[in-house]
Amino acid sequence: MSELLSKLGIDWKLLIAQIVNFLVLLFVLYKFAYGPVLAMLDKRQKKIEKGLKDADEAHKKLAESADMQKEILRKARIEAKDIVEKSYVQAEKSKSEIAAEAKTQAEKIIANAKDQIELEKNKMITEVKSEIGSLVVAAAEKIINEKIDEKKDKEIIGKSLI
Amino acid sequence: MDISIAAESLFHIGSFPVTNTLVVTFCISLIIIVASYILKNRISLVPKGFQNIVESVLEALLNLADSVTQDRKQSKKFFPIVATIFIFVILTNWVEVVPGLGTIGLNKMEEGKQVLVPFIRSGAADLNLTLALALVSVISAQVLGIAMIGFRKYAGKFFVSPLHKPYLVGTFVGLLELISEFAKLISFSFRLFGNIFAGEVLLTVMLFLVPYFVPLPFLFLELFVGFIQALVFAMLTLVFFKMAATEAAH
Repeated sequence: MSELLSKLGIDWKLLIAQIVNFLVLLFVLYKFAYGPVLAMLDKRQKKIEKGLKDADEAHKKLAESADMQKEILRKARIEAKDIVEKSYVQAEKSKSEIAAEAKTQAEKIIANAKDQIELEKNKMITEVKSEIGSLVVAAAEKIINEKIDEKKDKEIIGKSLI
Repeated sequence: MDISIAAESLFHIGSFPVTNTLVVTFCISLIIIVASYILKNRISLVPKGFQNIVESVLEALLNLADSVTQDRKQSKKFFPIVATIFIFVILTNWVEVVPGLGTIGLNKMEEGKQVLVPFIRSGAADLNLTLALALVSVISAQVLGIAMIGFRKYAGKFFVSPLHKPYLVGTFVGLLELISEFAKLISFSFRLFGNIFAGEVLLTVMLFLVPYFVPLPFLFLELFVGFIQALVFAMLTLVFFKMAATEAAH
């Protein structure tokens, strides 16, 4: 057996040296390569997954905000239309109101003026009447040339004028 | 030109023979250690150059382990040993194609004859290395098996009581399992040794017969064989780990 092993070149000293060498290599690689590299791979994988998820979310949010924008614009348009319509109605309303007021105002003024005219007319008529009275008196005086009595005079004139 | 199955010793330290394969193995280990140290200090989230190569190799190995174990956690447990075996074996195998293999060396007088002792000899062309790797692989399989399914269940794979259902058949199968654990040692070490040693001899002979151009295809062939053998060694180790970590079906 030992002759066979030595013929094959197997030497327990070398065997142990090789085993130790391999174990040292295993330890060093475990410490320096596998740990950090696998951790890095995991980290990167997670990061990429997160990045993809984030991008997806951002995409969704973008679409959502675009929808929202459209909705807001639509609402604003409707509101603006509403406001314009309302103001139109309001304007119409106030226009007719103003017109009505003006009309009543004018009517009032006209009525006032009519009253005034009536009053003036009456005043004038009385004035004219008295004027004419005195004129007639004067004329009558001239005609009669004699004054009966002032009081009687006026009575007569008043009767004749009515 | 002479070919010896055993690795030639360059010199002795005390009674410890320093063989050419030992020197080559140490050099390879040193290169791997330095490279991994540099990698560790330069590692970054955005991979660049060397880190890319290492990452793609390790990831491929991890995926390979996943395909065998079907379980990430288990793959991560098996991964360090399997990956180290792969990297170490493939690099020592590829030493074969280094120029000067088997031709540059010391002239020594041995048993009255002048013998050339080459400086470079592929690490796996020495049974000490392949047997060492086989021992590491088989012993870690036992340790992992015990750690994963418990000592009683693990021992139950090999020692089956003849009083239960398959009776003596079960006992016999268990015994065969036990023998096969030792057979693994031999098959592991001799498979790798045979391939690489044969490749080395082939390359030396080709170079001796036709020095120019003709050995080229054989160099490529040896690169391929080196890769395949490393993969086979790592793969078998992985499968044996998986088998050890799986409870017996009977």
